Amino acid sequence: MSYLNNPAVVMDNGTGLTKLGFAGNDSPSWIFPTAIANAASSNAKNTASSSSTGGAGLAASSTGGSSAASNPYFTNATSTTNFGNLTTASLMSNNLSGKRGTEDLDFYIGNEALTASQGANYSLNYPIRHGQVENWDHMERFWENSIFKYLRTEPEDHFFLLTEPPLNPPENREQVAEIFFESFNCAGLYIAVQAVLALAASWTSSKVVDRSLTGTVIDSGDGVTHVIPVAEGYVIGSALKNIPIAGRDITQFIQSLLRERGEVDTSLRTAERIKQEYCYVCPDIVKEFNKFDRDAEKFAQYVVENQDKTRQKVVDIGYERFLAPEIFFNPEIASSDFLTPLPTVLDQTIQACPIDVRKGLYNNIVLSGGSTMFKDFGRRLQRDLKSIVNNRIAETERLSGARSTGVDVQVISHRKQRNAVWFGGSLLAQTPEFKGYCHTKKDYEEYGPEIVRNFSLFNMV
Amino acid sequence: MVGNFVILPLNTKYRGPAFPANSDYDIIDECLDLFRANSFFKNFEIKSPADRVLIYGILFVNEVLAHLRPHTNYNEAVKIATNVALDSFTIPGTPGFPLNTVYSVPVQDHNAMELLRTYIQQFRQELAMRLLERLYRDSRDHPSKFWLAFTKRRFMNKTL
Ligand SMILES: Nc1ncnc2c1ncn2[C@@H]1O[C@H](COP(=O)(O)OP(=O)(O)OP(=O)(O)O)[C@@H](O)[C@H]1O
Ligand SMILES: [Mg+2]
Repeated sequence: MSYLNNPAVVMDNGTGLTKLGFAGNDSPSWIFPTAIANAASSNAKNTASSSSTGGAGLAASSTGGSSAASNPYFTNATSTTNFGNLTTASLMSNNLSGKRGTEDLDFYIGNEALTASQGANYSLNYPIRHGQVENWDHMERFWENSIFKYLRTEPEDHFFLLTEPPLNPPENREQVAEIFFESFNCAGLYIAVQAVLALAASWTSSKVVDRSLTGTVIDSGDGVTHVIPVAEGYVIGSALKNIPIAGRDITQFIQSLLRERGEVDTSLRTAERIKQEYCYVCPDIVKEFNKFDRDAEKFAQYVVENQDKTRQKVVDIGYERFLAPEIFFNPEIASSDFLTPLPTVLDQTIQACPIDVRKGLYNNIVLSGGSTMFKDFGRRLQRDLKSIVNNRIAETERLSGARSTGVDVQVISHRKQRNAVWFGGSLLAQTPEFKGYCHTKKDYEEYGPEIVRNFSLFNMV
Repeated sequence: MVGNFVILPLNTKYRGPAFPANSDYDIIDECLDLFRANSFFKNFEIKSPADRVLIYGILFVNEVLAHLRPHTNYNEAVKIATNVALDSFTIPGTPGFPLNTVYSVPVQDHNAMELLRTYIQQFRQELAMRLLERLYRDSRDHPSKFWLAFTKRRFMNKTL
């Protein structure tokens, strides 16, 4: 029963990035692209993967938090396109044969997958699209490597907390259960809705006074932005809205601006670095353009080095600094089919909820995910939403003659925002009650996969 | 007003029918301030008659930019922009103008149309020169590449 003392494993598999680590920790131990590179054909086998040297083997270290800091391949990243300086020759060995049979081992995940796919022998796949698993076969292999190569733990010694997007079909949960209990033989499993975890993560903010599970979560990652109203821990599915603008779109928009100017490097990788290092949300784009005229310091440069750092390319950075995240607030800038600004969608979402929960949804708007990290994102969102709400109130007062008590609009930014979902999972899974809320291997064997259709909500307060 | 095109005052030394503006900031400044932001929008809601002049100005700025190259120096640019400004042009509201849902002018009224034509002429010259001041603020050797990139954008999906 060693699992009783081991920390639970917390996995948040996103469209772009996988966040992986152990409950109780402050941040994930690994962050890497949710990508897998498969051998293009089975007879392409004896290339990069045939090495049997570097393999760390599978010393089943079941001590949670086994640090991988010494391993250069496991550096934490926030990038979905950057794979550092790995070359195909330095890929880790996939020496898992002792554990899981020798067939089908010719694949890589994460940054190694990006590297491997540069050669001709591997094809790159992203098993998650718009937050949902699309290819279960690839996903299973991805998890397998996550557990055995990164976490280096024995699943039977650990409980697992996994995350899912809102409105995930129950069949998907059953698939997850089948894989985790039957293929991996894990000790216990809990599947949590990402938005609910993000709410729990916001409790670290000093602005949050009561630890309530009521609020509106804006989770913006790589592939999609969700606006999710949650009342007492339950997602109000009928009101939830998705916005087809997220990190990848912002990166592509920056790329198009770089191309229009004819910059020397217009790769997605460069565009993504510029996005993360230089972009911010401004109060007013017309004024911001003029600021750049007055203050040349606003322009910047990004230096791209080649692999052995012998050559440098200099990319100039201009208006994309504020225009890129502006597409949340003025989607028309980059798209012709989706035109509703995020603050409007947010307001519509809350207005579509039962009247008695609206107050709690307006005053606890919680940000989550990499694409909410732009400086002043929360501040602009709060300002724009406030003005929508105030205009409506003024209009109602004018029509009815009655005075309104007003609505308190509060957007919460906090330190754990980038990986809020993972962090919320870490908080929950470290509580003494957590294991009681999981379904165990024994439950699974007794009742079958259907058991995971329901998980009780935590009483975490 | 000529039709729904309003003859706004301009601060300019070019000859024409415009009255001098009574503040430093005129419609030309407004065009230049709004050009970059508005270039990203395909929809534009006209709220006042001045907005019609603004739309014309923004389209004209794009037109001038399209004639410049990354290495055009200031002196060359002055020649090019002057030519573009003085070139024969279609008056808004007359046949062949690309945005005639927005403009309506009394095409039969010869005097009114002549006033409009000379005003637009004056407006184009002043706007072209003030545009160059912004483009060449940092260097007289070449225009700002950040401004020049806007030739790839089409305000309201239109060009003059
Ligand atoms: N500091 C930053 N500023 C802006 N964007 C960032 C920053 N850090 C990361 N990102 C972007 O956030 C995205 C990844 O965010 P996140 O990990 O929340 O997404 P995900 O969980 O993989 O995707 P999803 O939630 O859509 O399934 C990427 O597009 C990345 O470029
Ligand atoms: Mg996510």
